[in-house]
Amino acid sequence: MIKLTIDGVAVEVEEGTTVLAAAEKAGIEIPNLCFMKELSPYGACGICVVEVEKCPKLLRACATKATDGMVVTTNGERAIRARKLAMELLMGDHDGDCLGPCKLNCPAHTDCQKYVKEISEGRFADAVATIKETFPLPAAIGRVCPHPCEKHCRRGLVESPISIAHLKYFAADKVRADGNEHPIPVSSPTGKKVGIVGGGPAGLSAAFKLAQYGHAVTVYDQMPEMGGMLRYGIPEYRLPKSILKCETDAIAALGVKFVNNFKIGRDAQLEDLRGQFDALVVANGAWKSTPMRVKGEDLQGVWGGIDFLRAVVTGQSVEIGNRVAIVGGGNTAMDACRTAVRCGAKEVYVVYRRTRKEMPAEDIEIAEAEEEGVVFKFLCTPDEILGRDGHVVGAKLQVMELGEPDERGRRKPVPVPGKFDTIELDTVIIAVGQRNDPEGFELMPKTEKGTIAADPKNFETSLPGVFACGDTVNRGAGIAIAAIAQANEAALAVNAFLAGGHYEPVEPVVSERNLTADNFKDESRIPRVKMSQRSAEERRRDFKEVNLGLTAETAMAEAKRCLKCGCHDYADCKLIRYANLLRTDTQRLRGDFHTGYVETDLVAIERNQRKCITCNQCVRVCEQIAKKGLLGLVGRGFKTVIKPEFNDPSAIAGCRDCHLCVDNCPTGALRLLDK
Amino acid sequence: MRIVIGEGSCGIAAGAKKLHSALSQLGAEVGITGCIGMCYLEPIIDLYEGQDLKARLVRVQDKDAQRIVDAAKSGDLSGVEDLRISCDDESFLSKQTRIALRHCGIIDPESIDSYRAADGYKAIAKVRESMTPEEVIEEIKISGLAGRGGAGFPTWFKWNAARNSKGDEKYLICNADEGDPGAFMDRAVIESDPHSLLEGMLIAAYAIGAKRAFVYVRAEYPLAIIRLEKAIADATAAGIMGDCEIRIKAGAGAFVCGEETALIESLEGNRGMPRLKPPFPAEKGYIQKPSNINNVETFANVAWINLNGGKAFAAMGTENSKGTKVFALTGKIRRGGLVEIPMGLTLRDVIFDIGGGIRDGKKFKAVQMGGPSGGCIPESLLDTRIDYKELSATGAIMGSGGMVVMDDSTCMVNMARFFLDFTAKESCGKCVHCRIGTKRLHETLVRITEGKGKEGDVELLEELCRGIKDGALCGLGQTAPNPVLTTIRYFRDEYDAHIRQQQCPAKECAALRRFTIDPVKCRGCTMCARNCPVGAITGTVKNPHVIDQTKCIKCGACKATCKFGAIND
Repeated sequence: MIKLTIDGVAVEVEEGTTVLAAAEKAGIEIPNLCFMKELSPYGACGICVVEVEKCPKLLRACATKATDGMVVTTNGERAIRARKLAMELLMGDHDGDCLGPCKLNCPAHTDCQKYVKEISEGRFADAVATIKETFPLPAAIGRVCPHPCEKHCRRGLVESPISIAHLKYFAADKVRADGNEHPIPVSSPTGKKVGIVGGGPAGLSAAFKLAQYGHAVTVYDQMPEMGGMLRYGIPEYRLPKSILKCETDAIAALGVKFVNNFKIGRDAQLEDLRGQFDALVVANGAWKSTPMRVKGEDLQGVWGGIDFLRAVVTGQSVEIGNRVAIVGGGNTAMDACRTAVRCGAKEVYVVYRRTRKEMPAEDIEIAEAEEEGVVFKFLCTPDEILGRDGHVVGAKLQVMELGEPDERGRRKPVPVPGKFDTIELDTVIIAVGQRNDPEGFELMPKTEKGTIAADPKNFETSLPGVFACGDTVNRGAGIAIAAIAQANEAALAVNAFLAGGHYEPVEPVVSERNLTADNFKDESRIPRVKMSQRSAEERRRDFKEVNLGLTAETAMAEAKRCLKCGCHDYADCKLIRYANLLRTDTQRLRGDFHTGYVETDLVAIERNQRKCITCNQCVRVCEQIAKKGLLGLVGRGFKTVIKPEFNDPSAIAGCRDCHLCVDNCPTGALRLLDK
Repeated sequence: MRIVIGEGSCGIAAGAKKLHSALSQLGAEVGITGCIGMCYLEPIIDLYEGQDLKARLVRVQDKDAQRIVDAAKSGDLSGVEDLRISCDDESFLSKQTRIALRHCGIIDPESIDSYRAADGYKAIAKVRESMTPEEVIEEIKISGLAGRGGAGFPTWFKWNAARNSKGDEKYLICNADEGDPGAFMDRAVIESDPHSLLEGMLIAAYAIGAKRAFVYVRAEYPLAIIRLEKAIADATAAGIMGDCEIRIKAGAGAFVCGEETALIESLEGNRGMPRLKPPFPAEKGYIQKPSNINNVETFANVAWINLNGGKAFAAMGTENSKGTKVFALTGKIRRGGLVEIPMGLTLRDVIFDIGGGIRDGKKFKAVQMGGPSGGCIPESLLDTRIDYKELSATGAIMGSGGMVVMDDSTCMVNMARFFLDFTAKESCGKCVHCRIGTKRLHETLVRITEGKGKEGDVELLEELCRGIKDGALCGLGQTAPNPVLTTIRYFRDEYDAHIRQQQCPAKECAALRRFTIDPVKCRGCTMCARNCPVGAITGTVKNPHVIDQTKCIKCGACKATCKFGAIND
């Protein structure tokens, strides 16, 4: 027996044991990418290097035999440096997408590629289960989300992106109609109680996650029904309340307690709730319209955008007259103008100080508003709201022009001196923003903007046990899925807090391809499915949903357009695991890299040279274990690639699909084809 | 008088074969020999009276054949006086001591008798008759002979390890895969004195107990292979081989196959890629049997050591480095060729006294030692002695003997780029640090020579170099950064000039050159415009011309043709 010391741990091993195996015995992991117990050591990756006392060189642990009295350091500065460099070199030549751009660019990292694939295969319940791994409201979010996933969808470089959002709500609607949703997995009860203030997308998502973790959750909301802005800010024609209700009911079905018509500061103090719960999540949203500070804003007939929408939803009598102007260019402005049309206004204007190009609202919303007869007045802004007898009669508009670009690159509107326009109006709806209401949350420290200050990573506040997320914190109001992303992180933080720990998320290192339309010039063009809609003439008369939805056939066909960018091996990839472990900068040593060669035609195995790290594992298992020797290295230097032995395609004819090569590839360069 | 013509590759390239047949057609009896080392003077004809060299005629042309034949017949050398080597050129041999090259340019490489007449095969006879293998190894130990392939590992130690390794099937391998750009020591030895290699190998085979041996020689050395084949056939016919069989294996020209374990892989029929060490070849080499590998020059010393004694060898050289070393002197040197000098001479002795200094009156800048694995040594260190330790201290290495001399028109960044281009392409592709690391070094150097370098690039190069040295699997990768590290160490200012001023001080990097015409000096002769290959120069007769910078490809043709020195760059 041989006695040695590894990182200060005494180990005893049999003669002939490698340092790598000895370390494993001592419970110490030495990273490696080209080592396999069953194969003779190869020593190519240079990741398993260790320092050995009195040895001037770094040694490869996979190939170095343990000797008596050896003193090994596996995580010394020099070894880590060499490993990091090896990883940076490898990642600089590894051209693959760990995750699809859809998933990567979804604020909540919803696994779009996975559920799109499930939809393409007609596995709709699986698709819904996949979405619900991230959040509980697929039918609602599918309808309202401005889908950053689609903006980044690579299919957009071919012709147009996958209709991810429509697919999402199609699957949710279908599964709800079929009644075959998979049960939501829930951990056994922890006995911990969490209170959540606010039943909007953030609060509900946090509730959903925390309930799944096994905690007893109660959600408090000031409104009569759950859903927050999804219910009270999004008009019925975009998201029917009945559908939202089904999804909030499903959350309640997990055991989450809903308490409505409950307002902090009125029905209880924050401190009272702190006393009742082990942890609190504040997600009370941003429910106050931002005023414009123009003369006449206090006249009767002047509404805040979200106040107007809420009034319509709650059935208050809304007298808007025939002529309505909506000020603003965002999605709330679009919701307000289209709602105004449906409330019977004859002339509806949108007054926006920039041009259509700069409008933050979704293109489709603008187009649909135009179809419904809304008139856009660009490059002007109210200078004064004109009134008579305390009621709006019109607006004096300052004419603007575009000046220098601001810090976000949008050209700043500047007034054209002395140029004004006047319109006659009955109602003015100001939809220029919304902010949180601090009432009831005085105890919580605020940001300069007046929002609640929370840690941007784990959403802790300075009050122990109180977390805050969504529109009410930090940068304020944003899109629903961003609030959900925060809620998910907050839920993890609460969960860790309740277990006596602390959650500190680390941004994962991923490999990303940088592609242009040129990369897809040979891809066949398949048009994006068109969502069928009710005609503008018909829909402007009522609040029924505008979109008619997809059929199972069109949804499956649409889902099949997916390019499947994300790597099949992401979960098991050793390369990316070490890239994370060693916090590898994947771009620093980027240079020329292997392009193009993806072989799929020889056997039922895809061999992707762009991802290959030339560890030679496949070559060696084929030779030493499968006893075939069908693969070999071809070329020299950086151009070395793995191909059928001697670059002879017929050499691979002896392949019997044992797929030992695929099983042992440390990254996603090899994949079994579904042939 | 006997006519002997130098027919090494250098002589043949200069026209020795044609000259040979011209002489034969005139009815002369012509003998051949190998390379004397003065490659720059080829073709060379030696006229002998018996064993005495009467005259050495250099840079001989076919038209000189008749008067040479006449002179040889009559013994009257007055007709060829103008062809005789100058005193200055004779000094090329003055400071040399020839052991490995002792027969080169003297004996007929294709004649075993010629070798035997020069004490050939006496050493192996002596060894077999009167010495035990241990005594042979002891003699080599006394001599202090170290591996001449570059690493400088003590030869006796390797022999001893192979001898003591368990197993009765042992192999001896001669590494003749000389791949450094600018190195041709081993080729010259095999072409000029193949039997001395065989004799050295036979002695080594006896010492370690090997019955089979290989000479791994690159296929780009066809003449060496032909002469070695003949030598093996002749020695076998003469019964000299005893129970040892020596075979030739022609390598396909991969630089990495000069690395001993990659060479063994290639010898076995596999792709030439290095193995992990340990186990060392002495324990598990060719087909996993104990093997010993030495390079050509090492073996070429062995017979001499056995005949003259290890002490005689050890008497030459320095404390750390014994005997002599062969160098291939190339580059911007006046007298390029093959030299063998005792260890301990300085670089200045070799470059200026033997090599005659720099060509064309230019200034010495640096010498690259050890090819792509070595480093450059600047003028300030020219008094460094030829000694393993002292050369290593400069950041360069002794290497296998390549000595490329550079003058002040050489850009050191571009030089590093050249060597990295070589090593990056010659990397076997096995280990990450070498396969990708050298590529990134090369890309960075290319960027700098193209004027696209940025602040921090030198630091990036240094970081990569250190990392590659630490992480690479074999000697190729571990030494590949040396040209970069030494040029940064001694010529950092040139890197900075490229990066910060977008200037190449040596004016070698085309992308950084800018040719302009001085309107005062230009006489409007139109020569430059007519010689510009891309039509970038315009102007009318007798009026100053102008270069269109967008068209200029920076070839320098204008500057070369301008008679008025009007072109600046």
